[in-house]
Amino acid sequence: MTPVIDDTDLDTELDLRTYELCLLYGYPIQQKEEQDLLKEVEKLFTEAGGKQLMRDAWGRRGLAYAIEGQMEGSFVIYYYEIDPSKVREIDHALSIMPGVLRHMIVKPPKGYAMVPYANRLEEWLKEKEKLEEDREKKKEEALQKRITEKAMMKAKKVETDKKVESAETKKPMKKEELSTEIEKLISDDNLGL
Amino acid sequence: MPKPMQKKQRQQRSDPRHKECPFCDKGAKYIDYKDYPLIKGYTDYFANIRQRYYTGVCLKHQKMLRTAIERARFMGMIAYRK
Repeated sequence: MTPVIDDTDLDTELDLRTYELCLLYGYPIQQKEEQDLLKEVEKLFTEAGGKQLMRDAWGRRGLAYAIEGQMEGSFVIYYYEIDPSKVREIDHALSIMPGVLRHMIVKPPKGYAMVPYANRLEEWLKEKEKLEEDREKKKEEALQKRITEKAMMKAKKVETDKKVESAETKKPMKKEELSTEIEKLISDDNLGL
Repeated sequence: MPKPMQKKQRQQRSDPRHKECPFCDKGAKYIDYKDYPLIKGYTDYFANIRQRYYTGVCLKHQKMLRTAIERARFMGMIAYRK
């Protein structure tokens, strides 16, 4: 007897996969149009039997190059759990849809943690500012250190110069003494030269 | 008696070939294209992908980085060419 395995549940579980949709549409857009567009996109997925896991609206972002003559756009990222066989239809429908500048459906890797990136840009900008401020502070500190070191060196130099000068002033006195002593020595008759 | 072999001294200058992969340090399993401010650091002024030789990224992560950059470029987050 071969054991009968009811694999209908297994199949349904295996058939579903998480997909990530990145959607880009133009920025100067009326609220109603935007809502309609997003509703249509969501409808595509719900018709295909998809289940929304997360929605991450980034909002207005500048583009690196002009797409359809627009330099600004807004991003929305969806995470859906759908049947892989229906992805192609959705992809085609999105490529036809008016108002959509760019779209991309990506299969995230296993164990991918869905993190909202909506507020990340501001955080990055803040981090950048902080880094720049720290760099400037370090520069200023280094400059001040150098200035103080220079001043210290100058002070030391002045002190050493003073010492040398004082030594030089004492020397002529010694010379006179020396000459007198030499004369004394020369005049000495006891020297057996 | 032959002289004992002397060990070759390692050069002390910082060699770009001896850099460590910044993604390996964090233990990154996947490089996200949505992380475009981070990715942008791995492209040069002309928006070309920086060579592994200069950034020190390992081959495994360089491949992930390439896909991430290409995706971000397609979505208009990063420029193709400046």
